[in-house]
Amino acid sequence: MRRNLIYTLLAVAVLVLAIVPIGTAVFVLGFMYGDSPCVMCWEQRTGMAIIALVGLFILRYGPRPKYIGLSVLVGAWGLFMGMRHVGMHAARDVGQGFSIEILGVHTYTWALFIYWVCIVTMGVLLTLLKEPELQAAPRRLRTLESAAAVVFLVVIAGNAVQAFASTGPPPYVGQGDPIRFSFNPRHWVWSLEEYSTAPVSLRGRWASEPPDVKVANVDPASGPLAGLPVLAVKSQTRISAPLRGTVTDLAYDAAGDRFLVTTQQGIYILDAALGRTLRYTIIDTGFSVDLGRFAGAAFLDPSTVIAVGENKSFVVLKENDKADADGNFRFFLESFDQFNEIARSRFGTVRARMMYTMSAAFDPATKSIYTVTVPNTKVKRLVVSRFDRRDMTLSEEFVPTLAPDAGLTFAGEKRSLDELYITGAAVADGKLYAISAAHGVLLTMDLASHAVVAAHRIAGLDHPVGLAIRGGEFYVADADGSIRIVDRRE
Amino acid sequence: MEFLNFVLMFAAAWIVLRKPEKERLAFRLLVTSVVIMVALFCLATRTALLPGVNY
Repeated sequence: MRRNLIYTLLAVAVLVLAIVPIGTAVFVLGFMYGDSPCVMCWEQRTGMAIIALVGLFILRYGPRPKYIGLSVLVGAWGLFMGMRHVGMHAARDVGQGFSIEILGVHTYTWALFIYWVCIVTMGVLLTLLKEPELQAAPRRLRTLESAAAVVFLVVIAGNAVQAFASTGPPPYVGQGDPIRFSFNPRHWVWSLEEYSTAPVSLRGRWASEPPDVKVANVDPASGPLAGLPVLAVKSQTRISAPLRGTVTDLAYDAAGDRFLVTTQQGIYILDAALGRTLRYTIIDTGFSVDLGRFAGAAFLDPSTVIAVGENKSFVVLKENDKADADGNFRFFLESFDQFNEIARSRFGTVRARMMYTMSAAFDPATKSIYTVTVPNTKVKRLVVSRFDRRDMTLSEEFVPTLAPDAGLTFAGEKRSLDELYITGAAVADGKLYAISAAHGVLLTMDLASHAVVAAHRIAGLDHPVGLAIRGGEFYVADADGSIRIVDRRE
Repeated sequence: MEFLNFVLMFAAAWIVLRKPEKERLAFRLLVTSVVIMVALFCLATRTALLPGVNY
């Protein structure tokens, strides 16, 4: 009695699996609506068919361990395929996806859910099985079980027809972007594009390495821009106030005549001589939003600062002489009573999405925060991103070009600004100034035209990490706290 | 190759239904189908085998 119940449930499961996802996909979506699966959808559909086929094996031969093992393996693989496919589209803008929806959900997401249901179903059936029910000889199929096998054969035959039309005989394989299904051979496209040479990678562009200023080529003679005028260093100073960690950025606030300095986890307000710490804190960067290592810093107003991590996550602090030390315990690792944390979140980008940043700047005229990308081994593109201070959301992105009347030229046909490694930025008078650790180049970008209107080479730089503007001077900081002061010119 | 895979599954199911004594052959066809499915998915995703998201 119990055994018959299990086989009945299994037959029903095979029928449901064959009819609902696989049969609907081919006879309704495919033959009626012309939908063609992409190559990944084909394999997800194949995996479901294989699980149903294993069900038929169990109906005929009993629950042998190799069937159970294979069904679990294919179910687990199906879950992985579903995650891989959903991962391509799940984070797009609302309503976007690939191919059609069923009940408001795209087919690849249904596949993920169906594999999960398959594994749950297998688990339920296994818990109902008892060892004596293992049998050696083939079973005689009951009517429902035979019906499940026949339905499966019909559905698989339909899939074979669709697969022949859409993907062709071997060695042709399904396409990444399939064309609409048709029974007319003149509309069939059989492709070998999936065999094309391409690098094999676990994570592709998502495996981009975090930035490291030391990889920047400092050689001034090999920069992408030809014949740059040189700005001489007129004096040097250094940050003598004690810091925990090395300097990662520098900013200046004229109203308070103070500097802001960040280290990997530290935020310091220093006096104008850079010798005395006025207030500081060490951020617990791993608490809540992962801030990574701070790489950019800016004053948002005379008493509010922002520190931006390499991963474009940020924290905003407001100075407060009477901050609640106990309340701040969860945010900070040291110096709990000098700031209030008023925001900790992430900047989202589009063009800059696959790149890190090592700079931040604030434009009080437009109340905007700017970041500039640094290249990595997977993506090399200089992208400037602007975020609105009011909602800390991306408002603009641009890839700067050379202004036609700036007198700037590239040193070769294939040279570009993407070779630069921007590690510090500051805004003044509608212009974004960006210092590159690569080749010691200082760019001047007009924020209205998005063009580079001037570029200079600063002599003697050694992997700078920060840039600040103080009156008519640039302050260029190195990681060790040494600072080169250069006259500001357009 | 997807067409071949469905032909293999059809043949395996046909054996299970009509020639159950040839279980070994049917199971080999089933395993071959699994291998082809895994190979084709890996071929299609070889430039980023894992889901493209942050880890």
